[in-house]
Amino acid sequence: MTATELSLLTRAVLEKKVILWRRYWINTAFGFLGAYLFFAMIFFGGQAVAGAAITDTLDGIIVGFFLFSVAISAYHSTSGQVTREAQWGTLEQLYMSPSGMGTLMAVKTAVNICTSIAGGLVLLAMMLVTTDQTLSIDAVTVVPLVVVTTLSVVGLGFVFAGFALLYKRIENVFQLLQFGLIALIATPVDGREWLKALPLSQGSSMLQEAMTEGVRLWEFPAVELGILVANGLCYLAVGYLTFHLLLRRARKLGVMGHY
Amino acid sequence: MTGSTSATEHSKSASDRGEGGRSGEGTDETVVSVRGLTKTYGSGDDHVLAVDGVDFEIDRGTVVGLLGPNGAGKTTAIKAMLGLVVPDEGSVTIEGIETTDAPRAVYRRVAAMLEGARNVYWRLTVRENLRFFARLGGHDPAETDVRERHDRLLEDLDLVEKADVPVNKLSRGMKQKTSLACTLARETSVVFLDEPTLGLDVESSLDLRAELRRLAERESITIVLSSHDMDVVEDVCDRVIVMNDGQVVADDSLEELVDVFRTQTYRVTVDGTLAPERRERLESEFGADGWTTVGDHQRFDATLRRGEDFYAMMDVVRESPCPLVTVTALEPDLEDVFLALTDRESETSTAGNGETEMGVKMESESESESESAFTSDTESVGDDPQAHTPTQTEAADR
Repeated sequence: MTATELSLLTRAVLEKKVILWRRYWINTAFGFLGAYLFFAMIFFGGQAVAGAAITDTLDGIIVGFFLFSVAISAYHSTSGQVTREAQWGTLEQLYMSPSGMGTLMAVKTAVNICTSIAGGLVLLAMMLVTTDQTLSIDAVTVVPLVVVTTLSVVGLGFVFAGFALLYKRIENVFQLLQFGLIALIATPVDGREWLKALPLSQGSSMLQEAMTEGVRLWEFPAVELGILVANGLCYLAVGYLTFHLLLRRARKLGVMGHY
Repeated sequence: MTGSTSATEHSKSASDRGEGGRSGEGTDETVVSVRGLTKTYGSGDDHVLAVDGVDFEIDRGTVVGLLGPNGAGKTTAIKAMLGLVVPDEGSVTIEGIETTDAPRAVYRRVAAMLEGARNVYWRLTVRENLRFFARLGGHDPAETDVRERHDRLLEDLDLVEKADVPVNKLSRGMKQKTSLACTLARETSVVFLDEPTLGLDVESSLDLRAELRRLAERESITIVLSSHDMDVVEDVCDRVIVMNDGQVVADDSLEELVDVFRTQTYRVTVDGTLAPERRERLESEFGADGWTTVGDHQRFDATLRRGEDFYAMMDVVRESPCPLVTVTALEPDLEDVFLALTDRESETSTAGNGETEMGVKMESESESESESAFTSDTESVGDDPQAHTPTQTEAADR
């Protein structure tokens, strides 16, 4: 695949996304608004119940919510896009792309992660304004941490996308996993090394340190960074491989384009 | 119906002889080659043999119709050719490249419309879809030649005024045309179309057929088109591959296939009523049947074994006091061939009034005017009955 073809593919995916955001701007706006209102409900509801005590944990809540919004968006974009394409009847067209399904999925995923982070940052700014809090937002630290952390969720998205190809209507499982993501973000990994193998948890912990304590990327121990990268890449690789196996199984059963 | 065996034998022997260069070992111009393609769904008692050892080759620039009843294996065959379904056995080569070995290289040369209007994004406009699918195929819509191609497609498919309208606001026919335009948005040498006219109204279907024919002629692209609409296949295709129960039961040009089933069947109408003894003679010597009286006219059909029998039969009619009104040569069309090849008459005979899901069964056409039969009327009978029966085709109206 040439650089030109990769560029064309990226532009195709990105242009479609931007067109749909603009054409259905009310839907786009309400997507943000919905996420923001959910946060506001937690914040103001928490204040009403716990009073000033919530301020002690507010930084953690904001960082956790920021990561959750990015993760859920990346996860849905990956797992949901395959389901939707199958539903629309366009999946087989994408499969027949000369770039290959793998490259196309990789490009879509990259675009989705970028847009998810961009959306997450906007939401983060809104949360900080609402709570009058300040966090350390060093792009050189935050962006790589979020990207690598999100890779594990994208891997999970691929697994569910593959199962969706075979078993079709499994949206309810997707919904359940949303709660799982909250639990994974909230899981404390300090002192329990094995928990670092879970998706999101290690990244969440490091992001908390980076944003609340101002730890820079290069100040993290190399081992911790290594675990984070290995975690992200492993989940992504396993997820992608699983997707390919399930895709092949769907082709064998002749159900790839079915829904 | 006895035509099935003879047609298959004919097509096999024709291909063995290399007639039309379509089957057998292939030529330099062979674009698609399918060898022993087999696909089974399920296992055990529930298994379904969808495609059973299918072999054929397609030459460049040919428009091939893959015809068959529901469940014949057309869609599975097309999807297996495209690598969308993994076959159990067999190989598919497109432009000399094995689909299973290098699917991406094949997809550079092939485009397909598999789900009709569902192949495109309904929330994007027609032009945005064209741009998306062109880029997906590695073509930059900013380049002049690609843009011009898109403009031409929009014009040819009568989509110019709708170019900036989201697809979900278009009629079904327009959606289908958008899908076809997107399939052709990038230049490929082979195009697969699965039921391209399914669900379209007559006008849209005719437009689409005309466009397909024009594209094939102008751009010399190879088109493989599956349909169970015989009118579409008859209008658009050079060659027909008939599938039934997963197997190819006939593979030949449209004319050759129809020729196999062409019998010397005539419908004779006389003024008045023939005497009983003359009627008996026509029945015993020429197999006359289907006797009908319409007003002052009497009508019968006769299928003759030899050309000279026609003159003998006419002599018997002329000797009677009843003047000859018309003689019509009843010719088969693709629907008759299809019904014969797929052995549908057994189903139709239990259908009550002789109608099938596809139309009127072959035998009954000699008893009543078929909607789809080509009929030839003549007021006079000359030396060569076939030559003197100008064709009055109803197909143009369908």
